Amino acid sequence: MLARHAESLFWCGRYLERAEDTARMLDVTYHGLLESPPHEARRSWLDLLVVLNLDAGFLERNLALDAATVSEFLVLDQDNPGAIVAVVGRARENARSVRELVSTEFWEAVNSFYLELQARDLRNDLAQQPYELHGLVKRRCQTVAGVAAETMPRDDGWRFLMLGWMLERAEMTCRLLNVRYGELASVAEVDRFHVLHGVLKSASSSEAFRKVYGASMDPAHLVEFLLLGRTIPRSVLYCLRQAEKDLLRLGEDELGRPQRMLGRIRSELEFQDVQELLEGGLHAVLDQVQRGVRDVAEAIGMQYFRNLRVDLHAVAFAPPAEAVEGA
Amino acid sequence: MAGSLFDGYVPEGFFDEVVDAAGVVRPHYREVVDRLGRLSPDELARRERLRDRAFRSAGITFTVYGEGEDLERTFPMDLVPRIIPADEWDRIEGGLVQRVTALNQFLDDLYVGERSAVRDQIVPQWLIATSDGFQREAFGLPVPRGNRCLVAGIDLVRDANGVYRVLEDNLRNPSGISYVLENRAAMTRVLPTLFGSQRIRSVDHYGASLLSALRFVAPPAAGDPTIVVLTPGVFNSAYFEHAFLARQMGVELVEGPDLVVDEHVVFMRTTRGLQRVDVIYRRIDDDFLDPVAFRSDSLLGVPGLLAAARAGNVTIANAVGNGVADDKAVYAYVPDLIRYYLNEEPILANVETHILWDEDQRAMCRERLDELVVKPVAASGGYGMLIGPAAGSEEIDLFRKRIEANPRGYIAQEVVQLSRHPTLVGDHLEGRHIDLRPFVLSGENVEVIPGGLTRVALRKGSLVVNSSQGGGSKDTWVLAPEVPGEPDEAGDGGGDA
Repeated sequence: MLARHAESLFWCGRYLERAEDTARMLDVTYHGLLESPPHEARRSWLDLLVVLNLDAGFLERNLALDAATVSEFLVLDQDNPGAIVAVVGRARENARSVRELVSTEFWEAVNSFYLELQARDLRNDLAQQPYELHGLVKRRCQTVAGVAAETMPRDDGWRFLMLGWMLERAEMTCRLLNVRYGELASVAEVDRFHVLHGVLKSASSSEAFRKVYGASMDPAHLVEFLLLGRTIPRSVLYCLRQAEKDLLRLGEDELGRPQRMLGRIRSELEFQDVQELLEGGLHAVLDQVQRGVRDVAEAIGMQYFRNLRVDLHAVAFAPPAEAVEGA
Repeated sequence: MAGSLFDGYVPEGFFDEVVDAAGVVRPHYREVVDRLGRLSPDELARRERLRDRAFRSAGITFTVYGEGEDLERTFPMDLVPRIIPADEWDRIEGGLVQRVTALNQFLDDLYVGERSAVRDQIVPQWLIATSDGFQREAFGLPVPRGNRCLVAGIDLVRDANGVYRVLEDNLRNPSGISYVLENRAAMTRVLPTLFGSQRIRSVDHYGASLLSALRFVAPPAAGDPTIVVLTPGVFNSAYFEHAFLARQMGVELVEGPDLVVDEHVVFMRTTRGLQRVDVIYRRIDDDFLDPVAFRSDSLLGVPGLLAAARAGNVTIANAVGNGVADDKAVYAYVPDLIRYYLNEEPILANVETHILWDEDQRAMCRERLDELVVKPVAASGGYGMLIGPAAGSEEIDLFRKRIEANPRGYIAQEVVQLSRHPTLVGDHLEGRHIDLRPFVLSGENVEVIPGGLTRVALRKGSLVVNSSQGGGSKDTWVLAPEVPGEPDEAGDGGGDA
């Protein structure tokens, strides 16, 4: 397939995952804070921005760290490249540029999602019914994912879409753990449930956790679950394993640079012992995984999206494709 | 007159497609008018909403430049179809095949042949040489089988007597076929039994026909050729159509930077390295095609593409340089070119056209500018025109001066009172002016897709049908010839119309 198309699908997946994560975490934070004192709220909002990697963009504007302001920033601020409207807009632009590759159902699901956000009075929604709005975004993202799974052939295009989706999710769960784990380890026993529950809800894994660990509030269980869980669709390991599967198929079982890099990160996690990992320092491990995932994405770009052959006798190279959305 | 829809409908002296001068519905429209008349206003409004939803969610849009955020619009399709009877279509089809055949021969002769039409003084040499669409770079650029106008979109209008005339030949990058196909798809969904009540010739095979035409012009050495559609990109107003066509044909839709030329061979960049390309259906204008040969500031094109085509390693369709025949001054000579190359009388007439560098014709036109239409020779899409009867004296003076300063730059035409067609306005019908753009493919044979894009000037009294200027469209039904012995009642009498 065309290198440019592969890149568009990759980013389309990333943006859709990002939209859903943003809506879900926003929802959890919002509802978790309804009964909390203001100073605690400020800290939670800041944590959320850090998890989403948008803290710098927010802070440089000197905005108030409160529910209304952060919500608007994360949902409808046109100047925030990570806002849900912007992210969905770019997912749609990418889908549009591969319109002839993806199924009509997939395109229509993405397009109608975008059009619905455009048609709504989002500011009013946030003020009056934030829960419904968050729910709408989550449901729409899940619809798109479902439609993709039901209608797209399992070809290379599908693999690039899924790669973007899974790598974004792995990175997001990593950051969520990285930011919230410290808090979990430090709070008093009585507050622990609240924090643990929030983290699990943020990864929509609360019920699954209860099934495995019952009423446990052990932070080690959380790490075992969200980082190393082999069957949990939002655990870091699960996402990396899925991504690796698609990547190996893309390489036709040849091990290129991206395959080797991802395999290394995955196997290091896969054979970790959670106690050893915690003793060695969770942050270091998470930082390493995050960096690794970013490097894999970069290597995928080099291998598949910018395969400039150096031995061409071309008259002149066309300039590199103008920054494909978000690339 | 059946139904309340037609209450108060009057042709107002124009040629009306549906009713004759006496206000009687023409035979080929009777069934449809009758069935539409049975729909209540509420039901019609519901069908319109159904249609709008279908178009919007399918992303069938075109881009309007310079309107800030509202860049994408749906192209409004009127629910009342245009119907062309079989015998009328036969004549149109014959005329189009004849015209495109002659134009292919003229262009091939001009760029790689003996230039005999020029030599024999059918068209003046200087006229060709001064045309904006004429490309020196196309000299010696071979097109297999001489199919230079692989896709032509010939604009037809019907005058006050109902005579079809050619308004312009679009031989470069005619667009609109995607609306033909999508209009048809929408009609069959929104008004299924109305559609089923007629025997209508299909248009769905366009993608397959285009693909075989493109395969037919592949370089002979290509074997099983790789074909691509080349688009300027997602921000082009016709991008939807480019993607649509690639999908219909099952080929890659590429942008300039996706292609690279190495030693006169064109490749596309894929996730598995470079893949050779044999035929490019390009939807980029000549000037932007190759920064080495044309505009060096173009980022849309592919450096070295023209040299690759010259080497015979890739076919570019439509061919480079076709614009010379789109020149409105050259258009005036097309009937003569048909006589010259085919030794036939033209089946479809031109709109009566006056050539302004001819002193006698110019003198005549000078006095009649308030009755004529004046068009710049190189423009399309209705830009920069003078419509004499609607213009003030200042505007007419302005054009008089422009013509004196640059007589080669303009032509004058007699005003054509475009035919009108009943069109839904709110809950009733009003007459609106229409034209017709049929699509003609030059493959193994010259083939016309039945019907084409009927464009409607939605503003009352307006003659401008362009989508960028408030135009809409209609599904266009060409009726199949009646087969003797078959019952002609195809409808099932179902509930929708």
